[in-house]
Amino acid sequence: MQLTRRSMMTSALALGAMQLFPGISKAQAKRIVFATFTGSWEEAHRDVLVPAYRKATSNAEIVLDPMLSVDQIAKVTAARANPPIDVMLHDPGPALVAIGNDLTEPYPVDKSAYYKDLIAEAQDPAGPAIFFQTVGLTYNPDKIKKPPTSWEDLWKPEFKGKVGITNLNSTLGTGFLVEIARMHGGSEANVDPGFKAIEALKPSISAVASNPGQLATLFQQGQIDISPGNFNAIQIMKARGVAVEFVAPKEKAIAFKTTIHIVKNTGAKDLAFALIEAALSPEVQGKLMESPYLIVPTNTKVKMGGEIAKVLAKDHADMKNKFVFQDWKKINEQRSAWIERFNREIKV
Amino acid sequence: MSGIGIPRRGASRDGAGEGHYRRPGSQRVPLTLFPLCGKREFTAPLGKVMASTAASPPVATVTAYELKLAWPLGAFFLLFFLAPLLLLLFISFYADTAMTHFGLTQYAKFLLDPFSLKVLGATLWLGVEVTALCLLLGFPLAYIYCRVSGWAQGVLILIVLLPLLTSVVVRTFAWIVILGRQGIINTLLLDLGLIDSPLRLLYTEGGMVVALAQVQMPLMVLPLITALTRIDPNLADASSALGAGYWRTFFKVTLPLTLPGIIAGCLLTYAAALSAFITQTLVGGGQMLFMPMYLYQQASTLNNWPFAAAISFIFLIAVLAVITIFNMLGKISQGYANA
Repeated sequence: MQLTRRSMMTSALALGAMQLFPGISKAQAKRIVFATFTGSWEEAHRDVLVPAYRKATSNAEIVLDPMLSVDQIAKVTAARANPPIDVMLHDPGPALVAIGNDLTEPYPVDKSAYYKDLIAEAQDPAGPAIFFQTVGLTYNPDKIKKPPTSWEDLWKPEFKGKVGITNLNSTLGTGFLVEIARMHGGSEANVDPGFKAIEALKPSISAVASNPGQLATLFQQGQIDISPGNFNAIQIMKARGVAVEFVAPKEKAIAFKTTIHIVKNTGAKDLAFALIEAALSPEVQGKLMESPYLIVPTNTKVKMGGEIAKVLAKDHADMKNKFVFQDWKKINEQRSAWIERFNREIKV
Repeated sequence: MSGIGIPRRGASRDGAGEGHYRRPGSQRVPLTLFPLCGKREFTAPLGKVMASTAASPPVATVTAYELKLAWPLGAFFLLFFLAPLLLLLFISFYADTAMTHFGLTQYAKFLLDPFSLKVLGATLWLGVEVTALCLLLGFPLAYIYCRVSGWAQGVLILIVLLPLLTSVVVRTFAWIVILGRQGIINTLLLDLGLIDSPLRLLYTEGGMVVALAQVQMPLMVLPLITALTRIDPNLADASSALGAGYWRTFFKVTLPLTLPGIIAGCLLTYAAALSAFITQTLVGGGQMLFMPMYLYQQASTLNNWPFAAAISFIFLIAVLAVITIFNMLGKISQGYANA
């Protein structure tokens, strides 16, 4: 075969195109794309959920495409008729946006084997919750010998200059604001008392992180010693040797449901359903509850154990006493106004 | 950096028999290395090239061929830069978040809100601070570079380039380690007994300006070095032989001749500092709001795309305005330098 410059060029371009658009080269087998969250969530889903799904569907193809909720919404919105994602995963705020913008398909509840076993808070025909994320107090046990017990402890004078919070861009920051508002007589509809409380916290605040992930760095660098924090994020930090501990405050830990949704107009509704069924099953949720994943289950058939039983709740009945679920429908109504207000008022 | 290629081509064409346009002596090539400053230089010959294509066909084919070479990049920009930009402009004219009807609401919302204008002002000012610091620290460095021996130059250029070889995230995290409450600076000051309790350095504007200046330093130093090395050392000797002191020589000879480099460096640093989202958020924290974060907040957290698009357009225009003013100052001073 003669190698001309032209033929070399053609092959090079073809190779490049295959790299850029992998869809060209792959056979058009039926497969689904699951947009999970990045980091430890992806790891957990790849290790536990995907094998369970493949077993249930006799090795159907699945692609994990980890991305933020907002990116999922953006991608599906951009191609509604032929969405690049088949199953979405959302925190409560973005979930309502996705449902509101008509991007999701209602979950076929009647066909589901596990839906009825979910605790009431996790049941939602627009998309059931496959796990809870919980927010409580995190602190550095090397610096703070007596574990904090209440959100109120953040205002203690001995923590002056050592408190970290996040701004309202995150679910965590927003949930925290609502919770301290509630402590001071407010609610999801009225966070005025919460803003006043943060105002009073200002002298203690050492850092306002722009995202929850940054709190980890700040703990590690000794910039902060106490802050509101996500249970799962803390476990990752602990595993990496950072001196942090998590406690659920006596006012109850804040719980967010993370919901899973079939994307409207997906070409593989049955496979999407199979994936969600696997995610709801007690087998998968039970395995994900164990170390190192420590993901809080929503299926009542899962017996709580390990670190979760110790720190968060003994069983699903206990969850109701230990967790507070916030009304994100109400929160979403005013969230942009709060973010604006936070921008304006909270300058440390 | 297409500006580098075009004027040279113009210059070589002069040699290829079209010398009657410009006397050979008029080829002021040095300044054209800086695309923005050299605009006047390359538009003129290009215009002549266009005019001459009809008159002399053989030359025209050569020119056409050369222009064709710019097509891949041109098409790339058209597709991946201009088209999204127009889309962004289009989105910014939606009056509501759900994007159903058009209006100028988003622009009014931003421009009539003192808070938003303050954020814009603070961002533009941040760029000025960082640029000034970069210039203040970068100029001596570039100056020394031009006056040391070969191996020392190698070491210096390595120091200047090293930050470019690491990711901006890594550089920024290094600053968190340096500025933190248990960071290098605080530990040192505590150990020396100069302070009793750690200073708050991280998440302050001062800390952020310093971090940004370090991160963007190569963008300032490299053009300065280029400008400084091109100055004929005999000029300084001549100046001192004629009785000027060090400072007088510096202000009357070196500085004016370096101006193009200073302008190029300042423009690059300014633009980079304004849009340095990573460093701004990681070292500045969540309580200081600048335009990139404001934009991100609106687009990402609130899904308010029309407002985010309007913010980015206003930001773009504001930055372009600052750069234009700067460029005009540059042109005025260039005249001064050539005088």
